[in-house]
Amino acid sequence: MKFSWFHLMPYRWLPPDFRERYHSVWVDIPNRLYDPVKGHQLYNEYLDMLEYADQMGFDAVGVNEHHQNGYGMMPSPNLMAAALARRCPNASLLVLGNSIALYNPPVRVAEEFAMLDVISGGRLIAGFPVGTSMDINYCYGQNPATVRDKYREAHDLIIKAWAEREPFAWNGKYTKLRYVNLWPQPIQKPHPPIWIPGLGSLETWDFCAEHGYNYSYLSFSGYKRAQKMMDGYWERLAARGLEPNPYAGAFFQQVCISDTDASCEREWWPHVDYFFNKCLHLYPGTSSAPGYVSEASMRAGIVAQVGNTSLNMGQNKSWKELVEQRYIVAGSPATVRQQLEELARSLRVGHLAIGGHIGSSPIELTNRSTYLLATEVMPHLRPIWSEYEDHWSPKPLPRAERVVPGGQNEAARRAAERPAAA
Amino acid sequence: MSAPPRSRVIPLGAGRPTVEVLDAAWDGALPLLAREYHVYAPLLPGFRQSTGLEQLDDQLDLVLHCFDVMEALDLQRPYVLGESMGGWMAAEMAALRPRDIGRLALAAPVGLWRDEAPVADMFGMMPHELVPYLFHDQSCPAAQGLQAVTTLFSEKDDRTQDQVEFLISLVRGFRTAAKFLFPIPENGLEKRLPRIEAPTLVVWGTEDRFVAPLYARLFGEKIPRARVHMIENAGHLLGLERPEPYAEAIVRFGRGS
Repeated sequence: MKFSWFHLMPYRWLPPDFRERYHSVWVDIPNRLYDPVKGHQLYNEYLDMLEYADQMGFDAVGVNEHHQNGYGMMPSPNLMAAALARRCPNASLLVLGNSIALYNPPVRVAEEFAMLDVISGGRLIAGFPVGTSMDINYCYGQNPATVRDKYREAHDLIIKAWAEREPFAWNGKYTKLRYVNLWPQPIQKPHPPIWIPGLGSLETWDFCAEHGYNYSYLSFSGYKRAQKMMDGYWERLAARGLEPNPYAGAFFQQVCISDTDASCEREWWPHVDYFFNKCLHLYPGTSSAPGYVSEASMRAGIVAQVGNTSLNMGQNKSWKELVEQRYIVAGSPATVRQQLEELARSLRVGHLAIGGHIGSSPIELTNRSTYLLATEVMPHLRPIWSEYEDHWSPKPLPRAERVVPGGQNEAARRAAERPAAA
Repeated sequence: MSAPPRSRVIPLGAGRPTVEVLDAAWDGALPLLAREYHVYAPLLPGFRQSTGLEQLDDQLDLVLHCFDVMEALDLQRPYVLGESMGGWMAAEMAALRPRDIGRLALAAPVGLWRDEAPVADMFGMMPHELVPYLFHDQSCPAAQGLQAVTTLFSEKDDRTQDQVEFLISLVRGFRTAAKFLFPIPENGLEKRLPRIEAPTLVVWGTEDRFVAPLYARLFGEKIPRARVHMIENAGHLLGLERPEPYAEAIVRFGRGS
């Protein structure tokens, strides 16, 4: 079993009456609520949390992309990954990911991901989400009727740009380039492992199965409600005669640990409450632009319900409900150990993306939870799925060949700071 | 190669001249117009059961398809009426091939944009929230009908298969509109309007909250042979909310008076 430590980077200071006074946490959230000076503190505190996860032995540190969003302050996850690349020497960089249909031209993604892979010595996991409707349609104006088609074309272009060794012309429907000639190229060949985060559509399962990518189900509603989604994916693989290797699947689960179940509730409830009842205050009118969800997915009932008005993500629930229904996995190390094992086995996932920071939790509390996860939980779960080979993790340069960031500084300084010749 | 786009055409009435109504998703004023005209109401690709939307990449494809429909029906210089999105398409047709449209009526068309009067975002709200934008009199039967549809958009997962299929067809229509009008329903029509040669009636509800009456004046100014007719106490969907005065205006203009 592999573990990544994933950050959403929520803004911590949404007002107490946010739900009553404001329309949504996303798309049209008033930007006067954002204080850049507090943002300065948050970005650095959040990067510190990710760096601590690297130090504690998580397999990957994870970031993602959202726009105009009060619970996701990473419009550019690549900037975050670049900051992490030099400060996290151990973990893979899970960028989950870049909504590739948004980039014009999409070779921009191929370039930036190549840069991250090169800077990090081949530690990048490249995520290619279609993106939420809020992000790609409402914030970034992509046409919902054509965006999946544009996404597929962008994907084909990026893969080809990574593979080709001669300049080539790309005459696409959405992108036309006379000279595609990627510089730099990624270290990992033919390209970094690709993970496709899905919110739930038939098309994404098929896309992953077709290309052999990892399907990462990102949900805030916990593993109990994910069974249908992950089962559907495994069935899709089986139908194609493909091995249902657990490492071909990833699942995002928010987790918090404390010394006891009771102390966990006491310490974490304000922050969990902040997340579910402030950060998930979403306006349903901009949850899904017409055409964003295919008719096949609507008919299959994959998207929880057609026209769902609540998005059913756990708002208005108590700590007890959220924990018992497993929206969050929370409690003592023993409790969390048992539940995460149940998660891994029931969903058959080899990659667990842990939302290790929730809502408004500060660094001391978060890092305590990270510490307990790393020392009291992870070692017990590592052997799960050991009979399978993980083809979806990076293959970095050997340690000895990797540059230590800043490692030459001292010698260079000594050489540089010689007295000037008379 | 997939099948070419196909529009299903609803023929109505037996009058002499013809009216081609674009994007006729509703009954509205069509029966009233059919007393005077032979009306052809095409359901364009992507609406209801009409197919081939994927073949229409952009507005040029869409407008050329409208001409294909016109030619398949063997209509010579017809009187073309378009409502809302259909009004935009009718205006594009008349600007693209000015000699081929005999007469034009635009009922609260989209297609222009002024920052001070943004066209309502039909793609960014819940169906029930659209009602006050579309109707002035929200107690009229059509408004009540739309309101009733919205009860299907509930949290409960207890819809029948028929209801699911109905919702999917509703979303399909929105998706089709989105293909050409998302996120801002403006694609350069304004500079093409002066090309229109047909005598044109611009008809608008005084209480239109979807596309503000400001745009009636703009269409009237930019189309050379335009007349603007305002209908009192009417919202955006004129044909549904106020079918009689609306149809009367269309017919009177069609008679050349």
